[in-house]
Amino acid sequence: MSETAGASGPAAVRRGLGSRLLHLLATQLELRMLLVIIVVMAVLSLISPYFLTPKNLLNVMDQSVIAGMVALGQTLVILIGGIDLSVGSLIGVSAVALGLVFPKFGVPLGVVACLATGTALGLVNGVIISAGKVAPFVVTLGMMSVGRSMAYVLSGASSIGNIPDSLGNLTEDSLFGIPIDFMCLIVAYAIAWYFLTFAKGGRTLYAIGSNVEAARIAGLSINLWSIAAYVIAGLMSAVAAVFLTSKVLSIDPIGGAGAELNSIAAVVIGGASLFGGRGSIIGTLGGVFIMVFISNGLNLLNVSPYWQGTAIGSIIIAAVLIERLLSGGRSGA
Amino acid sequence: MALLSLSEIGKRFGATVALAGASFTLEAGEVHALVGANGAGKSTLSRVVSGHIQPDSGTISLDGRLVRFAGAREAIRAGIAMVTQETSLAPDLSVLENIMLPRLGMPGRLDWRAMRRDAERLIARLGAEAGVAVGARVRDLAIGQRQIVEILKALALNSRLIIFDEPTAPLSPHETKLLFGIIRTLAAGGHGLVFVSHRLEEIFALSNRVTVLREGRVVAGAVPTRELTQGELIRLMVGRELTDIYARAGKTARPPHGAPVLSVRHLFAPPRVRDVSFTVHAGEILGLAGLVGAGRSETLETIFGLRPARGGRIELDGKPFPAASPRQAIRAGLGLIPEDRRTQGTVPDFSVRENLLLAHLGAHHGFGLAYRRRDSAVRRLLALLGLPEQRLLDANLLTFSGGMQQKVILARWLVLSPRLLLLDEPTRGVDIATRSSIYALLRHVAAEGVASVVVSSDFEEVIGLADRIVVLSDGVDVTSIPSDMIDIEKLGMFAAPRSSAERTHTILERLAERYGGRAFWISIEGGRVFCFDRVGTAPAADPGFAGGSFPEIAGTRIPEALARRAAGFVTEAGSGLTTLLIPIPSESGHDFGLIGLTLAQPPTHLDAEALAKSVTHELEPEAEREAA
Repeated sequence: MSETAGASGPAAVRRGLGSRLLHLLATQLELRMLLVIIVVMAVLSLISPYFLTPKNLLNVMDQSVIAGMVALGQTLVILIGGIDLSVGSLIGVSAVALGLVFPKFGVPLGVVACLATGTALGLVNGVIISAGKVAPFVVTLGMMSVGRSMAYVLSGASSIGNIPDSLGNLTEDSLFGIPIDFMCLIVAYAIAWYFLTFAKGGRTLYAIGSNVEAARIAGLSINLWSIAAYVIAGLMSAVAAVFLTSKVLSIDPIGGAGAELNSIAAVVIGGASLFGGRGSIIGTLGGVFIMVFISNGLNLLNVSPYWQGTAIGSIIIAAVLIERLLSGGRSGA
Repeated sequence: MALLSLSEIGKRFGATVALAGASFTLEAGEVHALVGANGAGKSTLSRVVSGHIQPDSGTISLDGRLVRFAGAREAIRAGIAMVTQETSLAPDLSVLENIMLPRLGMPGRLDWRAMRRDAERLIARLGAEAGVAVGARVRDLAIGQRQIVEILKALALNSRLIIFDEPTAPLSPHETKLLFGIIRTLAAGGHGLVFVSHRLEEIFALSNRVTVLREGRVVAGAVPTRELTQGELIRLMVGRELTDIYARAGKTARPPHGAPVLSVRHLFAPPRVRDVSFTVHAGEILGLAGLVGAGRSETLETIFGLRPARGGRIELDGKPFPAASPRQAIRAGLGLIPEDRRTQGTVPDFSVRENLLLAHLGAHHGFGLAYRRRDSAVRRLLALLGLPEQRLLDANLLTFSGGMQQKVILARWLVLSPRLLLLDEPTRGVDIATRSSIYALLRHVAAEGVASVVVSSDFEEVIGLADRIVVLSDGVDVTSIPSDMIDIEKLGMFAAPRSSAERTHTILERLAERYGGRAFWISIEGGRVFCFDRVGTAPAADPGFAGGSFPEIAGTRIPEALARRAAGFVTEAGSGLTTLLIPIPSESGHDFGLIGLTLAQPPTHLDAEALAKSVTHELEPEAEREAA
């Protein structure tokens, strides 16, 4: 790199610039994600004239909110080398908590109950994994089952309707033409980015995933932040439950099913390593958009829903494979 | 015809040239040392031979035929095995399965009974004291034992050519001696052996020829070892002579030490730490010597709050200091440089700067990072360590050499201005030039009043670096001695684990019991007696020293016997104490010390010569073999 930059003449300068760009692309995951998103959008807008219409874009933003909130929490967990399979069930059970509380105590307390449920169950995950030293896969697999079962038991296995407007408006209103829920998503990601880049806790999450022994010897609070990652994942599931309820105006105990796999997929497409220590929150957001765009595109192209799973699954594997090749085999996801 | 011959091997990794036309020949029946500073290319060259890496240019021939290995498995089939620096064992498999692992990659059915028999035969060849059970899980083995399994794995392949990449780094001197014996046997049996090591004394003790690499080039090819001196070899490796790598101002001109910083009393942290006491003062470098498994690392980890102490007291500045976590220890001014850089030291996904500031992050109160606050300290440290400032921004610490990584990890603690540094094998896998600068750095911080406790398996290093040495053996501190009063041989005798010193101990007990006196194992040098063990209770027969003590001969109760070292009984003029000293036989001419028996009165019916003969017979290695 420096050799070409050091050479003289206009040709060398141009080559230097080109190779610098290539270098940036090769080293900056976020740039690559942006490039992929632009390509996907360009292709979709060429194939379907409907894709770039404001209505469809609003629809895409809408879909990205729920997936994005869950993927945010999942990112923190995967960064420490863990995994959270319970996020989908936690959406279901916290939505049911919301449905049980709002008819008697109103929407605000209902939302509080919803968030408290997700947080508390996330705390249970974190404490068992961290203090009990049980593999995250096992604990969250158990919680996945428990959470879904609680959602059925508490709801009496039926859906809850009559969602008040104050809740429904959350996904209806917009500010300067941008939906409020989408703004919430962007703010959440901005906070997460700041936290992971500039806060001690965020760097601790990376250090835990990268080399937990070195982090422990350096005096970082391993248990505190490991638990915190699962607590935040639970909280973000509950946040997703609030937006889901607002959007579909009904609470179903099966709500959020499949969110665990979609969130893990978004994080992995976003460049994170399932072994921990490597990944970025911006990458995850990119991963969420890619997933949502493709699913939206396939809908616009009238691809059978039965085929969509195959398409999305292949894209996940391809994305990780390409990422692995680009990063010289360093990414182990 | 050479067994192996490499010609003009070139290899690049990205922008770095690892090998630039290196050539190497190995004859059957020789031990060929491959030497060079870190980054000189010796690891790359050995990995080319073992098929792990394919060279960009050059040729390899085996038995005069050109070969090209597409991978390690092909090299294995051709009879080339490698014992690596970092063990590549499967921790959940048994010792047997690990030893025989390469066979799983070969075609054909597995014969478990034969495998077991072969494995046991190999272990017997290493010696009973290697002490690995074929059924044990590798996870349960100590690092030294794992290394032995790694060596067994290479031996199991019946390879004609074995590359040893620093195999002795984690081994005790005793295990090293065993291994050297095996390497010599293999060489005598027509094997070709490549021996990569940083330890010069090992190279001189073991190798027939030496090839020296520097910056990917051969600076001295296949020179007979006996034609080289240590100084010449060092000069070839680093391009300059390091006369005193321990940067010692002179043993006598040691600065006086300050107040006690850390005091450990009867520390008990099972299973390894049984009863450890020592004190380290401000400005003092204390060596914690002993063999692998003696409880040295565990002692450091207990002090640092990584392991719970079950008994004993730890005091910092005279106040009780039981650290429950590394965080508490760090905030009290402690720092720990752990034994294994890769698994306990570096954070691979962090930049060099963040790695350097990792302990700062642990010590820091507050939400943010406050990295800037340390900027000036970081700059000062980089200058001290000789690291260019722009390398701070490097994304990956793993591209640094082992020595550079260790400097960054040292800096990680120095940036906090600690009061007490705990260093576990601080120069393992570090080239000699960097080692010397690490020693200089440790002296520099000691001069500023920092107390250090250094664990090292390298006895030469402990003696050269430390002001005082505490020797641990089987979890107990056996002596505390100024480093200028001891040499490698006596250190080895103090450090001998109870298990291997047991035979001596049994002999002493029998002597003391049968003749009603006191029996002891000592070494005499420079007007001092070093006592490694003493048994017997008769107060009248007290020779005036105990196990772990090292008084001047004149200060003991049997000065005449110790000074004369005569063949028969020697009776002291004043006290009437009568002593018999029997030298321990040694084939290699090493000083293994003396066995002594002190009686309160001169014996009436005792033939000194016959007694000496029977003790000598019991001590002879033959007797050991027959007994086994």
